[in-house]
Amino acid sequence: MVDAVSSNPLVPELGKIIKIIQETPDVKTFHITTDKGKPFTPMPGQLAMLSLLDVGEAMFSITSQGPEYLEIAIKKVGTLTEALHEAEEGQTVGIRGPYGNGFPLDMMKGKNLLFIAGGIGLAPVRSLINYCAEHREDYGNMWIIYGSRSPADLCFKEDLTYNWFKVENCRVNVTVDRGDENWNGHEGFVPAYLEELKPSPENCVAVTCGPPIMIKFVLQSLEKLGFKDDQIVTTLEMRMKCGVGKCGRCNIGSHYVCLDGPVFTLEQLKKMPNEY
Amino acid sequence: MLKIKQTEMPQLLNAWAQKSRVFVPQDRGGVSAFLPWDGKGTLTLGKGNTLEPPKDIFFPRTETMYRYQVAEAATTLETMPPQKEQHVLVGIRSCDARSLEIMDDVFLTKGYEDEFYRQKRENTVVIALACNEALPTCFCTAFEIDPGRAEGVDVQMWMTSDSYLVEAITDKGEELLKQTSELLTPVENETLPDAAKPTLKVDVEGITEKLQQMFEHLYWAEVSRKCLGCGACTYLCPTCHCFDIQSENRGSSGFKFRCWDSCMFSEYTRMAGGHNPRPSKKERMRNRFLHKLQYIPERYGKYGCVGCGRCLDRCPVNVDITRVIREIKEVTL
Ligand code: SF4
Ligand code: SF4
Ligand code: FES
Repeated sequence: MVDAVSSNPLVPELGKIIKIIQETPDVKTFHITTDKGKPFTPMPGQLAMLSLLDVGEAMFSITSQGPEYLEIAIKKVGTLTEALHEAEEGQTVGIRGPYGNGFPLDMMKGKNLLFIAGGIGLAPVRSLINYCAEHREDYGNMWIIYGSRSPADLCFKEDLTYNWFKVENCRVNVTVDRGDENWNGHEGFVPAYLEELKPSPENCVAVTCGPPIMIKFVLQSLEKLGFKDDQIVTTLEMRMKCGVGKCGRCNIGSHYVCLDGPVFTLEQLKKMPNEY
Repeated sequence: MLKIKQTEMPQLLNAWAQKSRVFVPQDRGGVSAFLPWDGKGTLTLGKGNTLEPPKDIFFPRTETMYRYQVAEAATTLETMPPQKEQHVLVGIRSCDARSLEIMDDVFLTKGYEDEFYRQKRENTVVIALACNEALPTCFCTAFEIDPGRAEGVDVQMWMTSDSYLVEAITDKGEELLKQTSELLTPVENETLPDAAKPTLKVDVEGITEKLQQMFEHLYWAEVSRKCLGCGACTYLCPTCHCFDIQSENRGSSGFKFRCWDSCMFSEYTRMAGGHNPRPSKKERMRNRFLHKLQYIPERYGKYGCVGCGRCLDRCPVNVDITRVIREIKEVTL
């Protein structure tokens, strides 16, 4: 006889939002904890199912973690995310996880790492950047190339302008599609900037997340630069409900993104049906 | 082996019903379904397979997962008490028995166990009834299912002209039969009735490999043209397991429940930003057939169709999986 409750993967734990950071006009980062401390300890790239009990539940990537809390960055796109954006510190939430495979840390060991992200796509990549920064000796050079529509849309500004510069052998390049009067950084799209910067594919793994259109062109640019499919890692998004490979809706072919993803190499993706 | 007269079956069901909830095929407005036995219903045990599959006994149409109360002071969440009720499921056919194995693969393997499903599965004694006669839509033998003996069940029954022969397969089954031994007569050397021989023949050999090369084929647009997107096929399919999770609010309290969903509905994969990876019925029907004949085989090592024939029997526009299988085998790549 099973005592359902705590062992039931579909039932969330109650937690609280303890801090909210306005990243951009439509992105906020939420720090979430429970009475017992951190809800769980995810690996970089894993996901959490977050809910407002009377509104809804959705899957988000976990962008970082502290000793006592998880950080989840959320862009306003629908009912639940709008309600979350209206929430205040102290708000009770439901949380369950961690879900998904996370980034292939073993495959990345000893390699130079190239991180290419656009917009809110930096959220999942950030969990990996922070992990690699903490385990600096396990990885080669780090290079972060990030872009957003405008200077106001840049997420995690403190990391981009300060924290990641302090990481040993870590280079950060930022671009915006269109600058404003105060912007004196690079202007232009991420894929073009990537081709300009010409990172070497030698002993390197490239990790890219962002809007589908950006990913599409970044993949083309990486190919031009000589990256092979098994050197390119990306994440997929699908609608999810259960998060544990049961409810059926996040399948791409016989893979469930919630369980077997969200992280795939381009080599894996090319073997999967083009339906995402 | 044990034996009981057909006319005495209601007494046996009554006896089981004293300790357990007994589900047995009964008539409900002209439709045969597994319904709880209260001693009064009309049994349809020997009359072909039920229209509705037995999946809702383990995976109800809607099921409350937890309740909550949202309040300024303290928001609370209340889980559901573990299900202790014992069930006896009487008279499932070999095809539906195989479907339970597929459901077990989905709900109980690959890293996570679905507790709602597991509790009900563990608390149920499954009794199969061999088929003497196949319906015109039956094609279980295509998937190497034996209509005369089910896999993975606790008790097997056969129907003779005036009796049922009953054999315990598992300890759980043995235990149940022992409780009602006064109604069951031990017999020896009984000949089992001949098993049904489905006349609908389908050759599935190589279908998965063929489908692996057919994702982009024009066939999907053609075969899905008539589909109404009603979802009847997936609701009646014993192996369709997709569900949605929703909440129902009443003021500041409410409950979270899951309910059957269907990949034939357009909302199913639509994302918060509006993007839908399966925007038309072409992609949706392709997903349904590939799920049964390619994805489940790739993931769990067995076909996701058990040849029960329910979907082809009830599709309002005659989409027929047996014809689809035949056509797929013939299309040129
Ligand atoms: S029953 Fe027929 S019409 Fe309805 S969704 Fe299924 S295939 Fe389409
Ligand atoms: S696909 Fe049709 S024939 Fe096959 S198991 Fe499902 S309902 Fe039965
Ligand atoms: S979200 Fe349910 S199967 Fe992936």
